[in-house]
Amino acid sequence: MKTTVMGSYPKILAGSGPSVRSAIQRFEKGLITPTQLFETYSEVTRRVLDQAFSANLDRTTDGQIRWYDLFDPVVRDLDNVHSAGLIRLFDNNFYVRHPLITGRLQYQGGTLAAWSREAASYSRVPLKVALPGLFTFLDLQEDTSYGNTDNLLADLIDVMRLAVRHLASTGVVEVQWDEPSLAYSSSSWSASRVQEAYKTLMDPEVEIEHSIALYWGKSSLWLDTLSQLPLSRISCDAVSEPRVLDILAVDKLNVAVGLGVIDARNVRMEAPEELIRIVEPVLRQQGDERTWIHPSCGLEFLPPDRAEQKIHLLRNIKLRINA
Amino acid sequence: MAKHLLTTSVGSFPKPNTLITARSQFRRAQISAQQLREAEQEATRQVIALQEALDIDIFVHGEMERGDMVAYFAENWQGFSQSLPVRSYGNRYYKKPIVENVVSLGNSVGLTVDAWKRASELTSHPVKGMLTGPYTICDWSFNAYYPDRRSLVMDLAQLVHEEAMALARAGAQYIQIDEPAISTRPDELELAIEAMAVVTHNLPAKTISHICYGDFETILPGLYDLPVDQLDLEAANQHFALLDLLARYPWPKSKELALGVVDVHSHRVESVDEVKAGIRRALEIVPIENLLIDPDCGLKTRTWEEAEEKLRVMQKAVEEIRQEDGLR
Ligand SMILES: [Zn+2]
Repeated sequence: MKTTVMGSYPKILAGSGPSVRSAIQRFEKGLITPTQLFETYSEVTRRVLDQAFSANLDRTTDGQIRWYDLFDPVVRDLDNVHSAGLIRLFDNNFYVRHPLITGRLQYQGGTLAAWSREAASYSRVPLKVALPGLFTFLDLQEDTSYGNTDNLLADLIDVMRLAVRHLASTGVVEVQWDEPSLAYSSSSWSASRVQEAYKTLMDPEVEIEHSIALYWGKSSLWLDTLSQLPLSRISCDAVSEPRVLDILAVDKLNVAVGLGVIDARNVRMEAPEELIRIVEPVLRQQGDERTWIHPSCGLEFLPPDRAEQKIHLLRNIKLRINA
Repeated sequence: MAKHLLTTSVGSFPKPNTLITARSQFRRAQISAQQLREAEQEATRQVIALQEALDIDIFVHGEMERGDMVAYFAENWQGFSQSLPVRSYGNRYYKKPIVENVVSLGNSVGLTVDAWKRASELTSHPVKGMLTGPYTICDWSFNAYYPDRRSLVMDLAQLVHEEAMALARAGAQYIQIDEPAISTRPDELELAIEAMAVVTHNLPAKTISHICYGDFETILPGLYDLPVDQLDLEAANQHFALLDLLARYPWPKSKELALGVVDVHSHRVESVDEVKAGIRRALEIVPIENLLIDPDCGLKTRTWEEAEEKLRVMQKAVEEIRQEDGLR
């Protein structure tokens, strides 16, 4: 059994040490230089990567410490897409700037690759990058240019293929497409459309893994559809939908499965015995090599002390299950 | 003829620099609690004076004594502890409350009355009593105690009701119970409505609820059943797209709408014309007797100057419309 985290990590760390929050405050007051701010981001990122190593994770992100939100580097790397008004991120008390599309998407690149290269060159754990999934992007963007979803989706796939191609040269081994929108109750995308879109997105010429992360809703709705794609993992949120574990204990998927069994949105600590109890039937069905466990979503929704404790809980469970 | 298009604010105002300094001095034990109270009162005086100067109709006290709208209650009530800071967006963080036990008022009955009274004494305008709704307090806390959300929300509803009654007894004519979280989970709208019914039960005041940042599409027209007299909704943030949504259903005659016409999360100050255009669109949907005008949300994330400018534009837009249409 393997372990990973999902995406974001708190930008302030538990205990003492560098803090992105106070660095930004000090920067805005003119007390530190742009270089010092830049280095604070790097230092916090390195701490997050160190922690992933000490927790014996099999794969990690860089914690998205430099990212304003999930859309940030994508918006920076595309022409005619702007960071616009704050919107609530699904049912969280957390807000992101929605992408505003004002012209035809054009890939310029640079930011995501630079940030990822920096993290990959330091990380002792294989690095993945979590990006907004196609349909989550479509649901949260504001289009003032295309006026036609098919055309927008086609261009979005095209520019994201370029982004992935660029990423593959940075040392990143996996792109995880975050699709809370698909899991969320109001999603109305058809299975064939989702399948078709991801098939086109995944360029067989580019050597990198693709996975899809479903969270904050019903992951089970998409297991059939997504497991027919050449994905390296489908991650499910078993906190929002415990029933998905029952399904996975019976149905063997064609692809590896990620179990979001650790609640990344509540401070309550899970008991390791209980986690092992609920994970074991899935492990038996899917097999050791094809089962991952992870928090239900990015850990940034937790205070830093709890985020750290939950990462260590992953280590603890992995040790006990693999023993 | 009664005055039309009354203007108001959602709740919080930016803290003046003197108060920010006083708060950090208090944290470093350099000034006493009494001195901090005085700094808050001085800041409240500035908030009231600004509203007087701009000729706003229904006042708020500005929440100078509060940090976060949920944490303030959690810090003073029983059953909560506090987490380390959690980010809400950009570089803004809050100490998210943790429910660790049965919630109760403890010694804090009438927690909000004193600040309301002191602000009211500074003006002849009505000042709104400001509370956070039970659904939002639950939603913006970590629940580490109650078996489910419903039981926590309903316990909180009783506490908010008692606080609202204390404000009404003190003389508050307007009591606002903010539920910004209500629009996040359509499947829990019923629960939020049930909880609000507990809060506003037999409450002798005009009741208001402010709601923002959500998918209104999924909770309309059910939201009209929220048992309050006035809904206060943001619109400027999404370029008044809310109005297209509201236009789909007949506006409920018994309810007022306070419409947000300036975006509180943007540095850009709107033009008078764009605000007027928004108000004019709203008037096609909501009867003029039912419409009030305010900013999208609390102003605390803006600088004092930005807040003042945005309110000035809002007020000017309303005054021009009143004049053009021969309203008072
Ligand atoms: Zn608001």
